[in-house]
Amino acid sequence: MSDLDKAIAQLRSCRPIPEDQVRELCHRARELLIEEGNVVTVTAPVTICGDIHGQFHDLMELFRVGGDVPDTNYLFMGDFVDRGFYSLESFLLLLCLKVRYPDRMTLIRGNHESRQITTVYGFYDECLRKYGSANVWRYCCDVFDYLALGAIVLGASSTLSPGSPEDDDTEIEVCDQAGSIISRFPRQPANQSSQEKLDNSNKATVDKTGPPGTGASGSSSGSVGNPTGAILCVHGGLSPLVDTVDKIRLIDRKQEVPHEGAMCDLLWSDPDEIDGWGLSPRGAGFLFGADIVKVFNHRNDLSLIARAHQLVMEGFKEMFDASIVTVWSAPNYCYRCGNVAAVLELTEDESGTGIFQRTNGDVGRSSGGIVEPRGGPKNGPARRYRVFQAAPQDSRGMPAKKPVADYFL
Amino acid sequence: MSAPSIPNLLSLRARGGRGRSRGRGQGRGGFGTGAEAPASRGQAHDSVIQGTDTDAAVSRLSAVDTGYLSDPYARYFVSAFDGPPARRFPIINRGTYTRTAAIDNLVHSFLAGTGGEEQQREVTRQIVSLGAGTDTRPFRLFSQKGYPQLVYHEIDFSVTSAKKLKTVEAVPPLASILTNRSTGDTGSWSSLPLNGEYFCHGLDIRRLSPAATEILPGLRTDVPTLILSECCLCYLSQEESEGVLEYFSSRIPNISVVIYEPIHLGDPFSDTMVSNLAARNIHMPSLERRRDEADEAARLKRLGFETTRQLTIDRLWSKWVDAEEKERVDRLEGLDEIEEWQLLAGHYAVVWSFRGDGFEGWRGIE
Repeated sequence: MSDLDKAIAQLRSCRPIPEDQVRELCHRARELLIEEGNVVTVTAPVTICGDIHGQFHDLMELFRVGGDVPDTNYLFMGDFVDRGFYSLESFLLLLCLKVRYPDRMTLIRGNHESRQITTVYGFYDECLRKYGSANVWRYCCDVFDYLALGAIVLGASSTLSPGSPEDDDTEIEVCDQAGSIISRFPRQPANQSSQEKLDNSNKATVDKTGPPGTGASGSSSGSVGNPTGAILCVHGGLSPLVDTVDKIRLIDRKQEVPHEGAMCDLLWSDPDEIDGWGLSPRGAGFLFGADIVKVFNHRNDLSLIARAHQLVMEGFKEMFDASIVTVWSAPNYCYRCGNVAAVLELTEDESGTGIFQRTNGDVGRSSGGIVEPRGGPKNGPARRYRVFQAAPQDSRGMPAKKPVADYFL
Repeated sequence: MSAPSIPNLLSLRARGGRGRSRGRGQGRGGFGTGAEAPASRGQAHDSVIQGTDTDAAVSRLSAVDTGYLSDPYARYFVSAFDGPPARRFPIINRGTYTRTAAIDNLVHSFLAGTGGEEQQREVTRQIVSLGAGTDTRPFRLFSQKGYPQLVYHEIDFSVTSAKKLKTVEAVPPLASILTNRSTGDTGSWSSLPLNGEYFCHGLDIRRLSPAATEILPGLRTDVPTLILSECCLCYLSQEESEGVLEYFSSRIPNISVVIYEPIHLGDPFSDTMVSNLAARNIHMPSLERRRDEADEAARLKRLGFETTRQLTIDRLWSKWVDAEEKERVDRLEGLDEIEEWQLLAGHYAVVWSFRGDGFEGWRGIE
């Protein structure tokens, strides 16, 4: 058993690893992350997860529900730390898994992966309490600076189980933590009203040519193969300074999360029922409306934006004609909110006509993704949401202090 | 909180190191008794409720130290023995701030009335604070000028009221406000500050009911009176809490009540709150029924209060805190999660209800 496997085993039982091992781990993680672009390319199948916030026992529940690493390919959209009591164990375990299985684990940065925020919301205090010094916090913050800002998922299928005809028209499936199907939604015919609305909003751009470099004309309406566009994953949302995925690739990300600018917005913004852009009540990032998402998705050949960042009581929430989804993976958030959590599973397109990475994601190149069809909105990938509840704290023989939630008494 | 700790407190002006437990919510409460009988279950619960007052004091100091509230007296009520004062999460600080600002607004409007200054000086008003614990409001009010004559009562466990006296005696800035003190039985004491009278009753408020023979020394029945319950009545059974309100409403013609407490909205957050509190041995009978605004108004009407208004802390923040002040508070600490704030703050409400004259200052407040 390698040292790394030993560390994984120790962390899985919710016991922190010694400081020198943390240092070594963070060093190796940084070497790995420095090679990743700002926008990592991930190929389906993949399970996309939202905020964890140090709720270690619920992270274990997530792995139980979603499958273990490396059997399942995971993409975590940030906010690993703060608020919960086990930020340290949660983040270090994810980091160990990243180092051990780099191709099966993608970690992108959340707004809490920041020096400033972690000193206010708990991670700093936790490191101090568990190690007696801020060293481990510093090592972790150095890793935060190297985390990618987003990911592009390619090759997602428009059906949930290829080869199984009865699932062919299922666009959305919701399962409980035992895997039983709670609900199923068939794909809507293209001429339905929501679809019309989508088309309308896209009329302004319909006569444009395809994305830079593709040479595709906007009027092409090929319908064979390529059923879905790519999926952009980002912690918060869009930025008025970012109109293409390529612009994200140009950011110098290896720094503390700034108070403003594109990098800040990607980690802080929220979709909202407004037109255009609005001020965020969080004091950082922006609010953005359906029109912004639709234009962005169209311009970048995206069928969906997956993001986290906002507590949603049902674990996930699709907005704007399913052009953006919030995934939240911290059940009973802060041991107080009473919400359920969810992960989003995208299956692999096995038809051979799916989307393949067309560029290596280098700066200055196109966002990768699909060549056809153009014109209308892309069909969304088929989505399976696995919904789960908070793990009983004492259920796994792990150390667990009784959660004490804040109230005004 | 005993006297020897007091001098140390002054050295803690600078915000203490971060760390320590950021702590639990803030507490308030108490409906004390002088007779500390051997631990029955009820008595055990009483001491848990007493403990919530310590939480309240720590939360108040956290909100003061981070700049949300201005309260020079808050630090005198937090023990230095436990190390540097805990700093609460921003969401808790904002809640402490909003609740304090909202109740201050109601209290000040009540005291100010509508009359001119000349007229005000001749009017006496009375406040009765239930389960007051270490509340600093009397110090803040009696140190301000321009208010009418004020009779202020605080009622709490005798152990709590006795402790409050000790603190006041040991801290000159407090002693200089509540001057001319005299001590009574079971932790009760009183003072004759400038501008009025102050009474601290060491008494179990559950003894107060319409039929009670209990007489609160100094209680006036002839002046407009505000009963204040900041997370106090919620710990009593419905029968007990209604008895307390009726005790006052049946004796005082011009009467009002301001209640701040959590509300059950029949959703998962509410259920989680009940079970989390139960894990801390805190039982709130008021959370047993789903809270409807109309029901609450009807209940208070039955108890003798005619006009009732209610706003959640979430709404109070939106409606009562002006834009400039919001900006100031926002700048103190970022509040990272709006949904969480709306969820938490949406489950606490301030209710104000009144009958008779003397509440002109509340007209137009919604």
